[in-house]
Amino acid sequence: MKIGVLKPWLFVFPALFIYIAVIFIPTLYTLYLSFFNWNGVAPTKTFVGLSNYTDLLLHDSVFPRAVANNLLWTLGSLTIIMGIGLMLAILLNQKLKGRIVFRGIFYFPYVLSGVIVATIWTWMYNPMQGLFNKALELIGLGSWAQAWLAEPKFALYAVFVAAIWNGVGQPMVLFLAGLQTIPQDPYEAATIDGAKPRQMFWFITVPLLRETFVIVVAITMVSSMKVYDLIYAMTGGGPAESTHVLASWMYIQTFKFANIGTGSAISMFLVLITLVIIIPYVYYTTKKSHL
Amino acid sequence: MTKRWQAFVGLLMIALIAAGCSSSGGTNSEAGSTSGTSGTSSAKKITVSVWALQEHTWIDGAAADFNAANPDIQIEVSKYAVDPMKEALKVAANSGTLPNMWSTWGGSLGSFYAENGLTADLTQIAKDHNWPSLYNQAAIDMGTYNGKVSGIPYHLNAVDMWYSKTVYDKLKLTAPSTFEELEAQLQAMKDGGITPLSLGGKNGWHVMRLTEQLLEHFAGPELHDKLNNLTASWNDPAVVQTFAKLKEYNDKGYFPKGYVALDPTEAVNLFYPGTTGLDIDGTWLDGNIAAAGFNVNDFGVFKFPTGRSSVFAEMFQVSADLDQATLEATIKVGEYLTSAEVVNKYIDSYGTPAALNVTYSENTPHLKPLLDMATKGSFLITDQALPQEVVQKLFEAQDKVALKEWTPEQAAEGMEKAAADYKAKNKTS
Repeated sequence: MKIGVLKPWLFVFPALFIYIAVIFIPTLYTLYLSFFNWNGVAPTKTFVGLSNYTDLLLHDSVFPRAVANNLLWTLGSLTIIMGIGLMLAILLNQKLKGRIVFRGIFYFPYVLSGVIVATIWTWMYNPMQGLFNKALELIGLGSWAQAWLAEPKFALYAVFVAAIWNGVGQPMVLFLAGLQTIPQDPYEAATIDGAKPRQMFWFITVPLLRETFVIVVAITMVSSMKVYDLIYAMTGGGPAESTHVLASWMYIQTFKFANIGTGSAISMFLVLITLVIIIPYVYYTTKKSHL
Repeated sequence: MTKRWQAFVGLLMIALIAAGCSSSGGTNSEAGSTSGTSGTSSAKKITVSVWALQEHTWIDGAAADFNAANPDIQIEVSKYAVDPMKEALKVAANSGTLPNMWSTWGGSLGSFYAENGLTADLTQIAKDHNWPSLYNQAAIDMGTYNGKVSGIPYHLNAVDMWYSKTVYDKLKLTAPSTFEELEAQLQAMKDGGITPLSLGGKNGWHVMRLTEQLLEHFAGPELHDKLNNLTASWNDPAVVQTFAKLKEYNDKGYFPKGYVALDPTEAVNLFYPGTTGLDIDGTWLDGNIAAAGFNVNDFGVFKFPTGRSSVFAEMFQVSADLDQATLEATIKVGEYLTSAEVVNKYIDSYGTPAALNVTYSENTPHLKPLLDMATKGSFLITDQALPQEVVQKLFEAQDKVALKEWTPEQAAEGMEKAAADYKAKNKTS
């Protein structure tokens, strides 16, 4: 083997080493722990095989709800948050007066920590003193006032509205960067050919944003699968455990109940679901984009 | 040359990955061992690391006083909010990086560290230093597991009924002495346009204070204790009656709107100005009332019409992994921070001391009456008495009954199942 063959490995080594030490080995260790009943500090762990997994699937009343909530959150993120992000990016890519200010305004919530966002929105949702119910009363729609976070039917959606406000800035900035790499020539040619704006969007903008879409979709999927802070701070997983997601239930199992095995099993489910969704998507899109 | 280069890089990768593995593996079985003290001991100076709760503002001044008076010992305080403290302690326990001394609670929260051999056995020290003459015995007992004292108590909190004098004067009410009287007052407040109970259901524990008093009322002390010890079935008529009463109060609108998801802080904020009439809270509420800009004398306390008050202790547990000199220094720090001297100096912000022979402040007029009520009879607060898995199910049951997802009977069955599952998993009788 010549040195040239080894050279790429040398360059990749620092990142690969960190990846293996910080991600790969802990993941394997988590997988190992998921086969045990262990409280995190006892000198011995009891091997229980797959029972942490089967307990979650067959006996845990919260786990299926958490999986469903995660999937719902992912769907909402991929459609609503990404959709609004794209829409804002297109709007703010136009030559508008004050567009830089607007870019800052729409991006600003993204830099706030989840707990701060949760605090702001929890107060706005307060059933008696909150902004929303007071505003509804002021405009004569007091009968529409709700205890937004207290109804299992609405609670997750109410938190998701806060997530939209918080998260829309990120796809917006990424799409903006993507839009600025698209040359004007195809649009000019399409205009001469009599294309309508809608056609230009679908047949020029979207295909030329393919690389950006790969990144935005992957990031959105990953962040929506690991969503935790906003939900935990706004509802604590309630009411009646109805807003738990996998990460919050994993936290409860691990840190509150000291069920390290069960918490690890939830982590592995999270990894599995994420991989099942993301790998085919990234594989398909990147393959297609290089053809 | 090429082969040498290849071998060198290969060996380097293997060595580095192995180094990564070995450090990662440190959380494995050694985690349960007692390695990794954070205290540093030398002939000249010993550093004692203390993890305290964010709300313990008094500890900064007390630590500074101690450091000034003891040049050979240095206290290093780190502070955490309640939930981050619980998390940080679990992580530190798992990784063998617990501080010398940490703030925790009695019951099932503190027992985790004691029962896993992470705390020093302070039984002999307690005897030698005559702790029963220094601290309330109930507070010492709440930090004692399997006969071993595991912590130096600093708070003995009593939780009971607080009423707004503004509301009570307006409705011409006086503190009730029977359960029937209390219920009549709840209805009177509702009829008078006042929300009776200022309780927030988010995270469960605030509403739990009502649940446990209702359970005490319907089950009586003996069965209540058995339920908390998981030695009696939760599928009991008294439990059903408790949940049925919660449902009744919910249906009658005795709680703030949307209370199921209301943060306890938001709920208590309604109590200060008299929007609500009653709160079930602890000895620390005087401080909160004053901090919110209200007059503590506009509020009163009374015993929920059952025989016993809900109590819980807070303590400093001491790491089992200390050499003799560091252990002695840590005990000295712990006894100082919990002493009557420190309590008296910082009484306005200290909270409810476990120390005896202290002088209560005029700024906390309800502290002593609440402690006196608890002295006549008490039970350990439910979220420390029950295992955490069962506590979580209780919170879920409270919510589901209020949201009409469960009947009171289903709630009792759900509790019994959670208790049985816990016992099966932990092989307790």
